[in-house]
Amino acid sequence: MKRYVYINDDNLAKDIYCDNRISNRKYTILNFLPKNIWEQFSRFMNQYFLLIACLQLWSLITPVNPASTWGPLILIFAVSSSKEAWDDYNRYLSDKKANEKEIWILRQGIRKLIQAQDICIGNIVWLRENDEVPCDLVLLGTADPQGFCYVETAALDGETDLKTRSIPSACMGIDVDLLHKIKGVIECPSPNKDIRRFDANMRLFPPFLDNDIFPLTIKNTLLQSCYLRNTEWACGVAVYTGNQTKLGMCRGIAEPKLTAVDAMIDKLTGAIFVFQIVVVIVLGIAGNVFKDKEGRKLWYVQYPKEGPWYELLVIPLRFELLCSIMIPISIKVSLDLAKSLYAKFIDWDVEMVDPETGIRSNAANQAISEDLGQVEYILTDKTGTLTENKMIFKRCCISGRFYGNESGDALTDAQLLNAVSTGSADVILFLKVMAICNTVIPVRSKSGTISYKALSQDEEALVCAAARLRMVLENKNGNILGKECPWWLGNAKAGNFSSCQKEQMKLFFLLPVLIVSGQQVRTLAEAVEQYAQLGLRTLCLAWRKLEEDEYQEWTSMFKEANSTLVDRERRVAEVCQRLERDFEILGVAAIEDRLQEGVPETIEILRKAGINFWMLTGDKMSTAIQIALSCNFVSPEPKGQLLIIDGKTEDEVCRSLERVLLTTRITESESKQDVAFVVDGWALEIALKHYRKPFTELAILSRTAICCRVTPSQKAQLVELLKLGDYRTLAIGDGGNDVRMIQQADIGVGISGREGLQAARAADYSIGKFRFLKRLILVHGRYSYNRTAFLSQYSFYKSLLICFIQIFFSFISGISGTSLFNTVSLMAYNVFYTSVPVLFSVLDKDLSERTVMQHPQILFDCQSGRLLNPSTFAGWFGRSLFHAIVVFVITIHSYAFEKSEMEEVAMVAVSGCIWLQAFVVALETNSFTIFQHLAIWGNLVGFYAINWIVSSIPTSGMYTIMFRLCEQPSYWITMILIVATGMCPVLALKYLRYTYRPSRINILQQAECFHSSGIIEPKSRSSLEKDLPSDSVYEPLLSESPSATRRSVGPAQRSDSFQSQSPPDSTHTRKDN
Amino acid sequence: MELLNHSRFTQQELPACKPILTPALVMATFIVIGITFIPIGLSHLSASENVVELVDQYDEVCIPADSPDPDVVYSKRIGYIQDETTDKTCIRTLIVPKKMKQPIFVYYQLDQFYQNHRRYVKSRNDEQYRDPSASAKTTNCEPEAQLSEGQPIVPCGLIAWSLFNDTYTLSRNDVALPINKKGIAWESDRTHKFGDNVYSKNFQNRSLIGGGKLIDNIPLNQQEDLLVWMRTAALPNFRKLYGRIETDLEVNEIIKVVIQNNYNTYSFNGKKKLVISTTTWIGGKNDFLGMVYIIVGGVCLLIALVFITVYLIKPRPLGDPSYLSWNKNPASVQ
Repeated sequence: MKRYVYINDDNLAKDIYCDNRISNRKYTILNFLPKNIWEQFSRFMNQYFLLIACLQLWSLITPVNPASTWGPLILIFAVSSSKEAWDDYNRYLSDKKANEKEIWILRQGIRKLIQAQDICIGNIVWLRENDEVPCDLVLLGTADPQGFCYVETAALDGETDLKTRSIPSACMGIDVDLLHKIKGVIECPSPNKDIRRFDANMRLFPPFLDNDIFPLTIKNTLLQSCYLRNTEWACGVAVYTGNQTKLGMCRGIAEPKLTAVDAMIDKLTGAIFVFQIVVVIVLGIAGNVFKDKEGRKLWYVQYPKEGPWYELLVIPLRFELLCSIMIPISIKVSLDLAKSLYAKFIDWDVEMVDPETGIRSNAANQAISEDLGQVEYILTDKTGTLTENKMIFKRCCISGRFYGNESGDALTDAQLLNAVSTGSADVILFLKVMAICNTVIPVRSKSGTISYKALSQDEEALVCAAARLRMVLENKNGNILGKECPWWLGNAKAGNFSSCQKEQMKLFFLLPVLIVSGQQVRTLAEAVEQYAQLGLRTLCLAWRKLEEDEYQEWTSMFKEANSTLVDRERRVAEVCQRLERDFEILGVAAIEDRLQEGVPETIEILRKAGINFWMLTGDKMSTAIQIALSCNFVSPEPKGQLLIIDGKTEDEVCRSLERVLLTTRITESESKQDVAFVVDGWALEIALKHYRKPFTELAILSRTAICCRVTPSQKAQLVELLKLGDYRTLAIGDGGNDVRMIQQADIGVGISGREGLQAARAADYSIGKFRFLKRLILVHGRYSYNRTAFLSQYSFYKSLLICFIQIFFSFISGISGTSLFNTVSLMAYNVFYTSVPVLFSVLDKDLSERTVMQHPQILFDCQSGRLLNPSTFAGWFGRSLFHAIVVFVITIHSYAFEKSEMEEVAMVAVSGCIWLQAFVVALETNSFTIFQHLAIWGNLVGFYAINWIVSSIPTSGMYTIMFRLCEQPSYWITMILIVATGMCPVLALKYLRYTYRPSRINILQQAECFHSSGIIEPKSRSSLEKDLPSDSVYEPLLSESPSATRRSVGPAQRSDSFQSQSPPDSTHTRKDN
Repeated sequence: MELLNHSRFTQQELPACKPILTPALVMATFIVIGITFIPIGLSHLSASENVVELVDQYDEVCIPADSPDPDVVYSKRIGYIQDETTDKTCIRTLIVPKKMKQPIFVYYQLDQFYQNHRRYVKSRNDEQYRDPSASAKTTNCEPEAQLSEGQPIVPCGLIAWSLFNDTYTLSRNDVALPINKKGIAWESDRTHKFGDNVYSKNFQNRSLIGGGKLIDNIPLNQQEDLLVWMRTAALPNFRKLYGRIETDLEVNEIIKVVIQNNYNTYSFNGKKKLVISTTTWIGGKNDFLGMVYIIVGGVCLLIALVFITVYLIKPRPLGDPSYLSWNKNPASVQ
C-alpha cells in the first residue's frame, strides 16, 4: 500500500486521510460505561462474582440480602472504573492541549496560524526553533543554507542527543519565497510504526527542477513529538497526521504481565473453587435427602407436596450462594492496592537515586513487584549496563607499534606524542581517520570551545582523543584544524550509511591503497587479541584508495539503491559491500569502558542469592570473558571453568555442544566447581536451530553463561528459552538493542543510561545504576513477595473461616441453606473488618534490609516460593477450619437454650472471628509500626463502633443486639475463650517450629534480635579488584576446558581476525556494546 | 517532594518493634493463661452450680400411646394432637430440689424444632408487624401470606403461624402459683419491632391451622408470647421464656403443673420440656464455659510445663548463624 501526498494542495487530500486530531483516549463519553464494564467482565473473577450477584436476586435461594454481594461488587467496579475514567480524562486533556496548539501553515500561498488538529496531509508546516513537531513532516527547507536542521527525538526514542536532518536534494537551494509555491508529489508507504525507516520518493512539479524522482529517507523527516533545535526555522510537508503518525502507530498497549504469585493465587483460587463445588454438591444432595426424609415431617415449614421442576436445584444453589464468600471478593482490590504501594516504595526509595544525575528509580509496571523476589535468571547486557559506557581512548597500535602499553594511556605516551609532533605519516593518517570518520556533530559554543555530540560513545572517545593529539574536528565539513579535507565528500556518504553498516565496520577511509605485508597484519591481529584480553574495546582503522571512475560508478549505484522503496536496507548494504574490500589496516585503537561502581559486589551478592547470571553482549568473546571475570561472573580458575561452544558448521557446533554438556553434567553432579559456558552468536544460531534440546539442558544445568556477538533477536530468544523452562527471568539492559529482551522477559529492567532512555521506557523498572539491582531484588522484591504471600493467604483464610461457620451452621439448621450471619455483617466482614488490618501488612518487614544484604541466600525462600505454595496454603486452610470449629462450637454451647436467639448467636460468632483474626494478624506480623497497631486494634474498636451504630437503628434486624451482648459478662468470657482456644495451639506450634525447626528467616530474626550486628557479619570477602591491573598478563582460562583452543593467529586466519570475527551472515545486526 | 524524600514512611523505615517468640515470653504467656483461666472456670462452674433448674419432659407422658409398634404409636399420637375436640389437659408434679429464689423463670424447651430452617426463618415481614398501614405487605411470608381470597394475614409468615400454644398452670399445695407473663419479651420488640396499633387479622383462618391463636383486639406488641416466639432460635434445641414466678420456692415443695398439651411436636419426633430455673450472673445453667475454661487453662499449664522441660533438657540458643544451611554446608547452596 502506498500513499501519495500532493504537496501544498488543499483540495485533494482532505477527505481521503484523517486530520491531525490526536486521540489517545480509550473511551468516549458515550461508550465509556458499556466498554469499561465489558472490559471488567472479561476477567473470570468478575464473571464469577456477577453470576453470584445475579443468582442472589432470586429471593427463593438467596441466604442474605443481595446487597451483600452487589455492594462490594459495585464498589470494586466503581473504584476501577473511576480510575480508568480519570486516566482517560487526563489523556483527553493532554490531547486537547496538543490538538489546539497554534501552528503556522501555508494555505493558498499565505502563512496562516491554525490549530494543530486542522493540519491536513500535504499542508506545508512552518516551525521555529524549539517548536514541537505537530505531525510527521518531510523537510522542504531550513534556515541552514546547506539544508541541515537539528532535532531532539527524546520523546520518540528517548535519545537525548541532537540528530541531524537534511532537506532532500531536490529542495536544495530553493528560495524561501519559492517554498510558498512549491508543488509536488511524495510517494510514501502507508502509515507504519517503524521510526527508523521512511522509504519514500519525491517528485517536484515544474517549474521546480525536472521530473526526477528523489529518494527520501528517515533523514529527511521531522517526526511528530520531536523538537526543532539549533535551527532558526524549518518547514516541511505533512505526510502522516493524527494517530497515523509514526509515534501514533507506535503506541500500543503492552500485554499485562502476570507474576508467579498471581499465577499461584489463581491456581489456589481454582482449587478453592473446586472445593466449593464439591461442598455445594455434597451439601446439596444431603439437603435434598434430609428434606425428603425429615423435612416433610416439619409441618411448620409447609413443604408443598409437589414442587416446581427446579425444586431439586434450590438447595444446591442456596449452598452455592452461601459458599460464594469462600473466594474473597476483596482479594483483587487488596492486592491491587498493595501492589501500587510496593511500586511507590520503589519510586520513593532515596537509596536508589542515581547520585550523578538525580534520576529516581521508577516502577512503570506496578503489578509485578513480587516477581522481583522470585527471579532465578538475570540476563544482562554488558555495555552501559555492567560498564559505565563512558568510553576513554586508552591504547593504540599504529603500523605495528604499540602505544600506551607502559603508561596505560596512549595520550600520555611520549612516543606517540613524539610521533605526532614529528608528523609521522602513519600516525597522522591514523588520527585523521579517528577524527573524521564518524557521525559526531561538533558544537561550537560562544566562547569558541568545541564540544562533541555523538550517538556512539566510541566515536566520541576517538574524536576527543584525536583532538587532544591536535587533530581537532571543527565542523561537519571535515575541516581538521583549519585544513581543507578533500575526501570529505566520500566520507560523508560513508558516514551516513545505514546504521547496520556503520556498526559492522566501524571506521574506514577512502584513500589510495598501499600494499599490506603479512607481517604487519600479524602484529595488528596480536594487538587486537591483547587489547581484548584486557577487556578493552578494539576498533580497527582502515582505509582504501578509490579511483575516480570507481567512485562515480559506485555513487550512482548507491543513489539508485537508496531510492528504492522495497527492501532498501538490503540493497544499500549490498552496494556498500562492493566498496568494503581490499582495505589497508592502519592500526588498532583500544577504548576502555570502565565497570560501573559496585558491579562486582552486586553480582556476587545476587549470585549468592541463588540467581543465575547470563551475559548477553554484542562484543567479542575475549572482551566479554574478561569483563565477566572482572565482575565476578565466573570465579577464576581453578574454581571456575569456562567451556566454549564454537564452530562454524553444524557438525562442529554439535560436537562442541555435546562435549560441553558432558563436562557440565559431570562437574554439576560431583564438584563444587563454578561452570560457565561461552557461546558466540553464530554457534548460538545453529544450536538454537538444530540442537535446541541439548542446548536447553545445558542452559538449565549451568549457572552462568556468556553469549557474545548476539543480536537483539537472539537475546530475546534466549529469554524465551529460559521462560519455557519455567524460570523467572529478569532482563536488564540500557540500549535499544536490549528492548526486545526486556519486553520478552518476565521482568524487564532498563538502565536510564547514556544510550538514551529507550530501554528504560520499554522496561517495567528503570534504575539509574546497575548496583541498584540488588536493592530492587533483595529489598523490594523480597518484601513484596513476602507481603503478598501473607496478604493473599490471609484473605483466603478469613473468607474460609466465615464460610466454614456457615457450613457448620447448615448442619444444625436442617441442611436448608440458612445463613447464620445477616447481610450487614457479611458485607462488612469481607470489605471492612478483615480487609483493613491486613492491608497494613504491606508495611511489614520480616528482616531488616541490612540483614538481607548480609545474607542474600535468604532469597532462596522467595525464589522457591516457600511462603506461598499449596502446602503453606494448606496450613492456612487447616487453620481456618480449626478456628471455624472453635468459634462455632464455643458459640453454640455458650449461647445455648434460652440464649440461642439467632441475631445474638450470629453476632457472637462474628465477634469471635474478628477477635481471632486480630490476633492472627498480630501473630503473623513481624514488625509492628504504629500503623499496624492502629489498624489491628483500631479495627476491633471500629467493629464495635459500627455494630453499635447499626444496633441503634430501630428498623435494622440487629436493633439493640450489640448493646445487649456487651452488657453480658458471658459474652466477654466467650470472646476470651475463643481467642485463647483458637490461638494457643497456633502459638505453641509456631513456638516449637520457631525454636526447634527454625526457618532461615526465623534464625536471622533471632540473630537480629539477640546479637549485635558484628556477630552475624558474614566472613568478609577478600576484596576483589574492580579493575584488573592494567599490565596483568592474561592467563588463558580456557586451557583446561574441553574445547580449549586458543585461537592461533596467523596469515591463514588473517581475514578471520578482522572481518569475520562475527558470523558470516551479513544480515545480522551487531552492535559492539 | 522533599518531605517525601525523607519521610520514614516512604523509606519504609518507620520505627517498629519486632517481637520475637522467646521461650520466656511464650512460657510466660501460657502460664498466665493457665493461671487466670482456671479460677475463671471455677467461678463460672460454681455460678452454674448455684442455678436451680427443674426440667420436665412431658411430650411422651402427656399423650396416650399403648402400642408396641412405633408406626402405630406415631399415627395415633398425630391423630390425638390434631384432634381439636379432645381435652389435652395433662397434670405433672414436680419437686423443688433446692430453695429457689425469685425471680424464677419458666421456660418451654423444644428439641429438634428447626426455627432456623431456611423456609421458616425468612418467612416474616417486619414492616407489616411494625406499621399498621403496611398490613398488605406480605413479601417473604409465603405460604402464610394471605387468604385464598387475597386478604392479607396479619401477622403473616410461617413463624407467627406456628406460634407455640401449650399452656402451663402452676399450683403449690393447691394454691395457685401465679406466672407473670408481662415483660417476657424484649423491650425493644415491644416498643419498636411490633407496633402498638397493629392488630392481628385473618390469623389462623386458613384451612390449615398451625399453632396458637391471637386475640384480635389486643395490639401485637402486647401479645408477648408471640414476640418471644418470633425471636427465632439459632439452634434446633431452644428454650423460650414462658413467664416468671415472683415468689421463692422452698426445698421439697411439690408443684403441680396443669399442661394444655396442644402443640404438635409429634409429627417430627420433637421433644417438649417445661423448665423452671433461677439465674445468676452467667444467666441460666451452663457448665460448658466453666469446663472449657478449666480444660484450656489446664492444657496451657501443661504445655508450659512441657516447654520448660524440653527447654531444660535440650536448650537451644536462638539466632545462632551456624544453623543457617549455607553456613553449615556451603556446597548445598542450591
